[in-house]
Amino acid sequence: MFSLPLFKQSVKSNWVMWTAITAVMSVLCAQFAVLEMTQNLLFVIFYGMMTTILPAIYVLVTANKLIASQVDRGSMAYVLSTPVKRSAVTFTQIVFLVGSLVAMFGIETLLHLAVNSAKPITIATALGNSALPIKGELTSEMIVQVNLSALVVCIALAAVCFMFSSIFNSTKYSIGLSGTFIGVNILANMLSMFGSLGVSGLDKFKYLTICSFYDHQSILFSENDWITKMIFPAAIAIVALTIGSVVFKKKDLPL
Amino acid sequence: MPEIIKIENMTKDYGNGRGIFDFNISINEGEIYGLVGTNGSGKTTTMRHLMGFLAPDSGSCEIGGINCRQHPEVIMKRVGYVPGQIDFPDVGSGTNFLKIQAQYLGITDMSYTEKLIDLFKIDTSAPLKRMSKGMKQKMALVAAFMAKPDILLLDEPSTGLDPVMRDAMIELILEQKKRGATVFMSSHIFKELEDTCDKVTFIHNGRIINTIGRDIFDENMPKLYRVGFADEEQYLEFKKRTDLHIKSFNDKYKHLMAAVPVDAVNSFVRELADYNMRYVRYVPYSLEMYYKNEIENGGVL
Repeated sequence: MFSLPLFKQSVKSNWVMWTAITAVMSVLCAQFAVLEMTQNLLFVIFYGMMTTILPAIYVLVTANKLIASQVDRGSMAYVLSTPVKRSAVTFTQIVFLVGSLVAMFGIETLLHLAVNSAKPITIATALGNSALPIKGELTSEMIVQVNLSALVVCIALAAVCFMFSSIFNSTKYSIGLSGTFIGVNILANMLSMFGSLGVSGLDKFKYLTICSFYDHQSILFSENDWITKMIFPAAIAIVALTIGSVVFKKKDLPL
Repeated sequence: MPEIIKIENMTKDYGNGRGIFDFNISINEGEIYGLVGTNGSGKTTTMRHLMGFLAPDSGSCEIGGINCRQHPEVIMKRVGYVPGQIDFPDVGSGTNFLKIQAQYLGITDMSYTEKLIDLFKIDTSAPLKRMSKGMKQKMALVAAFMAKPDILLLDEPSTGLDPVMRDAMIELILEQKKRGATVFMSSHIFKELEDTCDKVTFIHNGRIINTIGRDIFDENMPKLYRVGFADEEQYLEFKKRTDLHIKSFNDKYKHLMAAVPVDAVNSFVRELADYNMRYVRYVPYSLEMYYKNEIENGGVL
């Protein structure tokens, strides 16, 4: 079911981008959390946008490289001419894709936890609105929950890209559709955020993006909305990964 | 020898007359079997079916009694494959690639791999992306042969190889036969099929035209001789008077090719003795000639 050599091969061909994105995300996180100038943008810019945009770029490129690009170039022949099943190929690549996202968020979360315990800030500051009637400091629990919520949405984005990558034999269709999907979701998320910051009319865009299921507000206000909202991206991820795996198992491969 | 590869009434229709139609091929264990055809005739499509990459529209193919499409992973334990389209996984150097490939195949003893690398004179430390076409082809050959598989499926294995390396490859294939392996290879280069194959199937536009065995080169066939005449008068006279079947001729260069039955060689030489010749040359019958003949005369095409 799981192929270790294939996993190693995926690590070898994707570690550069993973390292770069993880580094950028971690550094940004630390910077927003530490510097007083940027502290009040921590949840607007960093947790509002960066935790979806950066992983989205990573999954767009990586999901395509894991399946479609290898089929398109023909190098998948070297994997499938060994006793590795097609279902093991998809399973292994899914483990890599999801696992690398978990690691990415894990490193960023650990860094934020360390920074936060050294230099705690209030929730009101973090939200960039000191007039809010909300008391208390940003807790470690909240940080973990926010990242978990973001991670599940990113896994859903990754799963949809992976589905396109498994369905199409040609990179141009895989990247094209994944790119459109990611683009629409990220853009709608940004527009809806301007909406929530007071630009009227733009808040309707939240219905166009699965990033809306990532709800850091409810965590900071100690509500439980974010837990129920995680069900939807999780379901999207499971459906998309299943479709991708089934199609890849059944389709004709030009190898 | 028991049958090991069986293709039965296999059809894959890509539309517009492309694809393969009603293929029947049977290969016995230990045979070297060739598949020859022009570009686009269906060689690669056939190979991909045997690898389980494609599902036939109708019919089936089996290796060792196992359906290629249903359980390719079982078959792959015994098969080495050289794909027609060569591109490697993005893993850096050739050494890295072979190391990962060995892990897939469960090879721990790399001595045979080293031997193959020496044979083909490959610098495996070079990055895969910067390798030349021939170098990539040699890497692909090493990857296919390194596990000493029972069955080898080689899709145009000599593409991009220089003549010396092609000979090395032919030697290697013959070596595999000696240890009992079955080889199924496709090519449009007749020479390498002639040197290796026990049987050859000709295909054209996705249809099987004919299958011939080694016996096509048998003693009983008329031998071909090419004769160049010194002067035109004699050339024309011989052409008119001889009872032999003239396969081809060229008036400008005053030479012709005659098919001489096995028992008529002596009389042929005696007949020629009266003529003023530039040369007489025996022309070995080759698959290439057979193929040209088939295409010229074949009603199927």
